[in-house]
Amino acid sequence: MANYLAQFQTIKNYCDQIVIAVEDVSDLWPNIKDRFEEQLPFKRACLNNKTRNLVFVDNLPAEFILTTDARLRSRFPQEQSLFWFREPYATVVLVTCEDLEEFKTILKPRLRLIVQNDEREWFIVFVSRAHPSNDNATKMAKKVYAKLEAEFSSKKRERCCKFDIHGPEANFWEDLESKIMECVKNTLDRRVQFYEDEIRKLSEQRFMPVWNFCNFFVLKESLAFMFEMAHLHEDALREYDELELCYLETVNTGGKQREFGGLDSGDDQAALLNIGNKPLTQIVQDDSFREFEFRQYLFACQSKLLFKLNRPFEVVSRGYPFVISFSKALILHESTLPFCLREVWVISACLALINATSSHYNDGLVASDIEKEFYRLQGDLYSLCRVKFMRLAYLIGYGMDIERSPVNSASLSMLPWPKPAVWPSLPADASSQVLDKEKVILQATPRSKHFGIQRKSLPLEPSVLLREANRRRASLSAGNMFEMFDSRPSLIDGSTPDASPSTSPLQKAKTFSMPRTNSSPGNFDGSMDRPMRLAEIYVAAEHALKRTISNADLWKSLSSLEEFEQKYLELTKGAADNYHHSWWKRHGVVLDGEIAAVCFRHGNFDLAAKSYEKVCALYAGEGWQELLADVLPNLAECQKMLNDQAGYLSSCVRLLSLDKGLFSTKERQAFQAEVVRLAHSEMKDPVPLDVSSLITFSGNLGPPLELCDGDPGTLSVTVWSGFPDDITLDSLSLTLMATFNADEGAKALRSSTATVLKPGRNTITLALPPQKPGSYVLGVLTGQIGQLRFRSHSFSKGGPADSDDFMSYEKPTRPILKVFKPRPLVDLTAAVSSALLINETQWVGIIVRPIDYSLKGAVLHIDTGPGLKIEESHVIEMESCANVSQSAADISNVNGTQKDCTLAANKEPEQLSLDDGRIEFSDWASDVNSVLWIPVLAISDTLPKGSSSVNPQKQSIVDGMRTIALKLEFGASHNQIFEKTIAVHFTDPFHVSTRVADKCNDGTLLLQVILHSQVKASLTIYDAWLELQDGFVHTGKGNGRPTSSFFPLVISPTSKAGILFSICLGKMIGEDELEARKPETESILNIRYGISGERTIGAHPPVAVESVRPEVAGQDLIFKSALVLQRPVLDPCLAVGFLPLPSTGLRVGQLVTMKWRIERLKGFGDDEISEQSGEVLYEVSANSENWMIAGRKRGHVSLSTNQGSRIVISILCVPLVAGYVRPPRLGLPNVDESNISNNPPGPHLVCVMPPVLSSSFCIPA
Amino acid sequence: MAREVSESCIDSLLTEMVSSYCNRFDANKPELAGRRIEAIGYQVGHQLAERYTMERPRFSDHLEAIKFICKDFWSEVFKKQIDNLKTNHRGTFVLQDNKFRWLARMSVDPSIENVDLSQDTSALAENKATQAMGMHLYFPCGIIRGALSNLGIPCAVSADISNLPACSFVVRIKA
Amino acid sequence: MIACVAVIGHQNNPLYIQSFTEADDALKLHHIVHCSLDVVEERVNNPKKSGPTLNETFLGLLYPTENYKVYGYLTNTKVKFILVTTDLDVRDADVRNFFRRFHAAYVDAVSNPFHVPGKKITSKTFAERVSNIVKSFGLSSAG
Repeated sequence: MANYLAQFQTIKNYCDQIVIAVEDVSDLWPNIKDRFEEQLPFKRACLNNKTRNLVFVDNLPAEFILTTDARLRSRFPQEQSLFWFREPYATVVLVTCEDLEEFKTILKPRLRLIVQNDEREWFIVFVSRAHPSNDNATKMAKKVYAKLEAEFSSKKRERCCKFDIHGPEANFWEDLESKIMECVKNTLDRRVQFYEDEIRKLSEQRFMPVWNFCNFFVLKESLAFMFEMAHLHEDALREYDELELCYLETVNTGGKQREFGGLDSGDDQAALLNIGNKPLTQIVQDDSFREFEFRQYLFACQSKLLFKLNRPFEVVSRGYPFVISFSKALILHESTLPFCLREVWVISACLALINATSSHYNDGLVASDIEKEFYRLQGDLYSLCRVKFMRLAYLIGYGMDIERSPVNSASLSMLPWPKPAVWPSLPADASSQVLDKEKVILQATPRSKHFGIQRKSLPLEPSVLLREANRRRASLSAGNMFEMFDSRPSLIDGSTPDASPSTSPLQKAKTFSMPRTNSSPGNFDGSMDRPMRLAEIYVAAEHALKRTISNADLWKSLSSLEEFEQKYLELTKGAADNYHHSWWKRHGVVLDGEIAAVCFRHGNFDLAAKSYEKVCALYAGEGWQELLADVLPNLAECQKMLNDQAGYLSSCVRLLSLDKGLFSTKERQAFQAEVVRLAHSEMKDPVPLDVSSLITFSGNLGPPLELCDGDPGTLSVTVWSGFPDDITLDSLSLTLMATFNADEGAKALRSSTATVLKPGRNTITLALPPQKPGSYVLGVLTGQIGQLRFRSHSFSKGGPADSDDFMSYEKPTRPILKVFKPRPLVDLTAAVSSALLINETQWVGIIVRPIDYSLKGAVLHIDTGPGLKIEESHVIEMESCANVSQSAADISNVNGTQKDCTLAANKEPEQLSLDDGRIEFSDWASDVNSVLWIPVLAISDTLPKGSSSVNPQKQSIVDGMRTIALKLEFGASHNQIFEKTIAVHFTDPFHVSTRVADKCNDGTLLLQVILHSQVKASLTIYDAWLELQDGFVHTGKGNGRPTSSFFPLVISPTSKAGILFSICLGKMIGEDELEARKPETESILNIRYGISGERTIGAHPPVAVESVRPEVAGQDLIFKSALVLQRPVLDPCLAVGFLPLPSTGLRVGQLVTMKWRIERLKGFGDDEISEQSGEVLYEVSANSENWMIAGRKRGHVSLSTNQGSRIVISILCVPLVAGYVRPPRLGLPNVDESNISNNPPGPHLVCVMPPVLSSSFCIPA
Repeated sequence: MAREVSESCIDSLLTEMVSSYCNRFDANKPELAGRRIEAIGYQVGHQLAERYTMERPRFSDHLEAIKFICKDFWSEVFKKQIDNLKTNHRGTFVLQDNKFRWLARMSVDPSIENVDLSQDTSALAENKATQAMGMHLYFPCGIIRGALSNLGIPCAVSADISNLPACSFVVRIKA
Repeated sequence: MIACVAVIGHQNNPLYIQSFTEADDALKLHHIVHCSLDVVEERVNNPKKSGPTLNETFLGLLYPTENYKVYGYLTNTKVKFILVTTDLDVRDADVRNFFRRFHAAYVDAVSNPFHVPGKKITSKTFAERVSNIVKSFGLSSAG
């Protein structure tokens, strides 16, 4: 049956649509042909597909052919059955008839005859020529048609329809079409049935020797073809798929050796999309087809159908695996095929698929994921094509110019060399080309990486080409080449470039095989079996390829380096772009990198940088450092070329911050050198740079630094440097963030001095100005290297990672600095609260109490108030004082402290000197309590007055008060200041009061002088003498010493002592002397005393200041006090007597009459009253707070001058306050007190009752 | 390959861990102690999830993952499944274990128990007790959170012990 | 022969990558593994293509290239295992078995309390175990 192949071919070529036969019984066709044919193609066909499901086909093409046509004549039945698809699918019988007779007699038998063989699907079209106006004609036509129907139509099938030439009925054409379709459908079913039976029969004997694939193919394809004609493309496609499966089975199982094909010229160009590439008759071999052509043929048929079905996507998705598997098939037969035919074929196949599909493909008509898949496949095709193309290029010596990138290496180095039976050998006339090639090889220097990075560049070849080629040369099949190379497995790695005698010296160093290959010519030279040199291999391959490649364009793009690169770019771009449209972003980006490499080589750094950046971003984003380390230097180089300093710097930093293991120290040092060089070079404007990955920092471990408010400090921070060498930071500044409120800004601590960072861990200290209270964390580290302004955000974990890491992978930043709220830091108090001696140099103690704060280097400014001066000449003492803690004011405590002080102050009190009011503390006092003793002298030039016991008035505290203003400056930079003014109380040692103790008859008076000690120290009186005023003399002309001398007299603190002086009145001085010298109106008491006191308690011996009153032996001091003595009345001339008060006593607010009686005791003759004639001036004095005096306070009363005359002066007065008050007193201003005797004397005090409740005060008036 | 540990060891280990964090390391700041314990649980859950999801197809949605936690994961860890799972279908799941193993044998501190004379002290004792319980629940919460987040479901887990020994864990998935 | 095995974290970051070629061309294998992530993502992102093997951890053959094969495995925790092999007729069962054992080894490695999740696996025992698994690849399907 195989001999029908040719015929089958031709048949297929001309018939392409289904045929409908027209049986023109009564010669009507010519008239109606046109009107029939304009119904074509059929609008809407409805057919059964192979699985007997209804399928609707639009616009089914068909043609009407008269049965008398030659095309339907003269066919042998079996070929009819074989090529049945071309037979008519329906037969239309055209008849017309005017009268019944004719119908019965002639027409009916004829029709019977026609339709008797039921092979055909037929139906009758009755054409009525009756004009509608002609009634009986139409009637007749109707009759006949009825007959016809009755005759030929059956219940189950309507086989007739009526066509009026003049105006057919409205639904006639639909009727006709449906009838035809019915026929077509039935026919189709029958034929499908037939073919399937045939195919089944054949496939049953698949594994019998008689099996013949061609027959099977003819049947199968006929069926497929029939489906195709009926526009049932799906079914047709399925047929082809089955056919392919079956074929592959037979090919693979068929034991017998078949020839593969692919040896004809032009076979290198894939025909997988063009059906008519070769007539089947050419590729048939005894009972089957040659695989090479036939598989392409089948794929072509399938893709044709797929395109018809508008599924270009599927063409690609089937095409790529097809190419792969087909190329595998080619491997099997590589030995028989021309050199590298496989590669060439794959290239052309990929390109063909790409072009065809992308031209048929238009976006958006498929689901997005299908679309992505489509682009991915296109990308795959491109890159496959690209790989093969690179391989070819390598073979003819363009290997030097192929980037040895991971992607190229991955695709090439795992791709085995072509394995021709015999490696192409050098043509005779090629010596000149060889020379050229050698020149090229010599000139080509392998591209060196930037920064002098030493990398073993990746292999592009599965094994050394030189070895491979030579081994595959038939003549050397047994040659010692094998062990020569196999003894060197180290060669397997693709050392670049291939070892060859002609490699440049630089490469000689690299390749191991050099000495061998050099030494080898000894064995090989002269003989034609000499191993080919690389150049020769290239040339030979080139020639062989030239023979293989029939496609001019492909050859052209291999002809020169430029052409090659152009094609290479085109393919790479194609792949990349398509990948970018697909899911496979990484593939796309990586290929962009390849494009970048070419751009770079051509100096198009801008484009290169853009692409490289994408690649780097990809690798960096996912942490593929090894790959990044391969690309990043290229990017850096581009940026360098583009003079993009910022970019270049950041690239260098990124290089430095990659894993240490990825680069040798030398390389990393090179990076750093670049950074430094650029930083200090001519950069116009400072470049900001983020080095967070390289320089990290953290606070030191342990508790944060704690400072008091307003204190400066030094902060020490640990900085990790990722630089391989020491790096000098011209300036460095670190911001602190307050943790409580972020807006309360970041303060920058800067160290303007250059810092040198060692590689690894460094500790830098920064001066810390006073900060606001609160706690702070580290912020950002910024600094400058030359012109380069860097910043780093990243904290490095201090030491061991604590368990916080597992909570959340970011580490909570520890506070590094705490600044406390303001608080008292020191206290100054007076050590002693009791009085000190006035007019004597005394120690004033000041307790300095640091409150857990160091007073290191503190300075105290002392400023004494008025009436107080510091004994500049004397040193100031300072002694430690363990716990002069709580208020030093209370005495007991002071006593306590005294002990403690002596305990604590076992070491000598330190001597400090005061210069213009400043005292500098020494270090030992910086954190212990201490007492500062300052010698001061309180001056008061008033002579203290004694008081008489009658009305003892005390002098007030105030005039003994002195103040000392203190100002303490302390803290690291004397920033802390504490000011305080303390009051010190000074006083005289005694307060003196006097009274006349007794009056003897001989006029001797005993004057008692009472000394009140006023200090907290025991005073010892050594001596006392009284210098009397006029009118008094010491009895017995004494020297004014007390009568009985029982000195020394010791007066313990705050107690009294008395001294008696015996004096008597002296004669008054006459008037004559009065103007001679003014009389002493007061007498002076001198006391020589000593004091024994502790300065820690109070008054104490004056500080021994040299050249201060040397005559005072040691302790002896002199105290002077003024006293006023009154002459006692001896012979009074008047007596004033106070008359007793009413017994009812005195009440507040009650009038009372005070009465005094004045009596003249002496008669005239006394000079002092001579001039006054019985007139006495009186005056009542009373404390106006206690008394209200009614009536005249002062006035004259007449008193007769003769002795014994008396008068009573009564005064109304009202006591105003209750209690014991002094009563008003009556005085006689004109009379010398010494002439008045008080008899009876007035009371010192009277008692005034509070007002009675029922007094008039309470009665409402 | 699978090495077994006696349950009592685990119990006492947990108790010890809780007590040492609450009373020694972070004595005065319970919330920090809680976070640390939770963190340990997180790591454990993270690793257990890795182990227990071996040999099983990937989960297609959150519910599947939660169910895995309720069934297989829980029975691996506690030899029983979660008794009741509720969800509001908006990312919140409530896993209830009617007899939570780690609370089953837990007794309230006696010093707390015998002071419940008056109402307020007993109430106080009550919330002290619950506080102690809560400390023990940080660990399982951490386990759940770790497991889920390793399955790609970031979430917050809290526990509720209104009626002992039943214990319900509330999982809020972060959108 | 297995050329390379790799563990890729859920952020597509390499956690462990080991090549078994004697030539120091590890970089190209890095590249292959990295690019294979494209396929993994594709499989995961539109799972309807992966049909019956929906959500199965074993992703099967990722790359049908003519000179090497890349297999993938995606755990529940979004960790990917990649296997690059240069022999072109590999039994699926062998690969599955390989991945099962590899996964076990991985789980033990990351269960080490000193392993920080998301960081590279530096454990030597893990490396040894992996190399054993690789050696025994294809020899016996018995896990």
